[in-house]
Amino acid sequence: MIPLARLAPLALLTALLLSACVSPAWDDHDYALKAGKTAESAVSAVRFARSVVAHRDRMTGPYAEVVLTEAVRDLSSVNDQFGGVQPPSDSSDRVRDEVLRLTERAESEVADLLIQWRRDGVKDPEAAVRELDGLASELSDFAEKHR
Amino acid sequence: MKRLLAVTLGILTAFGGFVDIGDLVANAVVGSRFGMSLAWVVIVGIVGICVFAEMSGRIAAVSQRPVFDLVRERMGPRAGLVNLGASFFINVLTLAAEIGGSALALELVTGINYLLWVPPVALVAWLVMWRVKFETMERVFGLAGLALVVFIVALWQLGPDWGELTTQLVRPPQDEGVPTYLYYAIALLGGAMTPYEVFFFSSGGVEEKWTRKDLVTARANVFVGFPLGGVLSLAIAACAATVFMPVEAEPGSLGQMVLPVAEGLGKVGLGVVILGVFAATFGATLETALSSGYSLSQYFGWQWGKYVVPGRAARFHVTVLASVIVATALILTTIDPIKVTEYSLVFSAAALPLTYLPVLMIANDPDYMGAKVNGRFSNVLGSFYMVLLLVVALAAIPLMIATKAGQ
Repeated sequence: MIPLARLAPLALLTALLLSACVSPAWDDHDYALKAGKTAESAVSAVRFARSVVAHRDRMTGPYAEVVLTEAVRDLSSVNDQFGGVQPPSDSSDRVRDEVLRLTERAESEVADLLIQWRRDGVKDPEAAVRELDGLASELSDFAEKHR
Repeated sequence: MKRLLAVTLGILTAFGGFVDIGDLVANAVVGSRFGMSLAWVVIVGIVGICVFAEMSGRIAAVSQRPVFDLVRERMGPRAGLVNLGASFFINVLTLAAEIGGSALALELVTGINYLLWVPPVALVAWLVMWRVKFETMERVFGLAGLALVVFIVALWQLGPDWGELTTQLVRPPQDEGVPTYLYYAIALLGGAMTPYEVFFFSSGGVEEKWTRKDLVTARANVFVGFPLGGVLSLAIAACAATVFMPVEAEPGSLGQMVLPVAEGLGKVGLGVVILGVFAATFGATLETALSSGYSLSQYFGWQWGKYVVPGRAARFHVTVLASVIVATALILTTIDPIKVTEYSLVFSAAALPLTYLPVLMIANDPDYMGAKVNGRFSNVLGSFYMVLLLVVALAAIPLMIATKAGQ
């Protein structure tokens, strides 16, 4: 018999892997829940980007760049992860198109802001804040519908 | 006067040194998702760490031996080895998270990717542990960690709805499930009662040659310094509850976690908070690395500590160095330091009884403690916490799997 103590590291590793992996969608409901979670994560990243642009005068350049870079990375990761989940049916395809349209738009918008920031700063901060507010609101509505 | 100054300095050091990457991450994430509804866990954690840190400080002052030195003797080599294995694993994981945290703080100042800062941080940490006197090292980073008080100032400046924050204390958000709520409660408890804190505290007592006369200082550090550190933890959570929760933003990086300070206090506040984060994580890097050396050396009966020249405690210093190298390598795999922190908190919670049971047993043993054994109040509290920690330990890993690590 294997002593319990020797099994502990294996159990820990299994637990870590189980909690870290992205599971497949079992049915339309499960897929919709995943889409809702994806939109929630995207809202978070968009809000951070919005905060940097809105409070740009209260932050140092390197700090703002780091937070914007993280927002782009988070949105890219959200798109990659959800894009990799197989939609189980045609109706899930529509959910997929809807959420990815929003999250990909968010990624592109925030990536553009990062590029502008690295050059001479955000060109039209007020317009950018409005755009990010709108995006966050649409994503939030989507997440609410698919909770 | 000199005594009062020493006590005050000790309290300030304990205050500034209380918060580490685990407290920062856990409180910011919890504040953004659950508002102040898990503040009670911070209070439970602070009382718990005070109870057991006082015991371990008393053990060090009375027996002139640190806790781990006595664990093997009191509990036998097998039980001691299980304890050592769990503590050492969590220590190295926490060390990796702290090194990552320091590197991330430097990234926020310079804009240079944190991975490039990881090796210099590890090298400087090792040099500090090798060359700088224990007391100087502890004081400098503990006092610099006081910069995190800026979270309290920022909270005041943000002008939160105090009534709403108070309401949150007793009303968890409806859209979060009970398992997720419990999972984060456990992570928060793991952050407040991280095992290395007691090993470091008791070994530090021996490094500083505490005697029974120093019990007042030790108790002042614990009973005043740690709760003040707890206030900082609550301020971090309240900042997150004020800025992030209303807009459904969940911080997943150190940069995002300090955003409320930037919003509240501007560039000066941002500079101060990054300094505080660096001091807190770098200080904890030293504490966790030394704790690895302490626990292994004390278990095997090797000469240990910074109070002897490195040549006389060679195996201790090799262990410290090896721990730093392993932790650095782990972070250099590009694994997210914040994720490492989140996992280390839960694993810490799972191992809490292993850490604290021996402390309770030894503090009750008249062979070691003489007349300074636990009183009834300490025993009642200690026993209550042992039951609580056992429940927490049993629930930690299943909850991590069930909630997909709080997702």
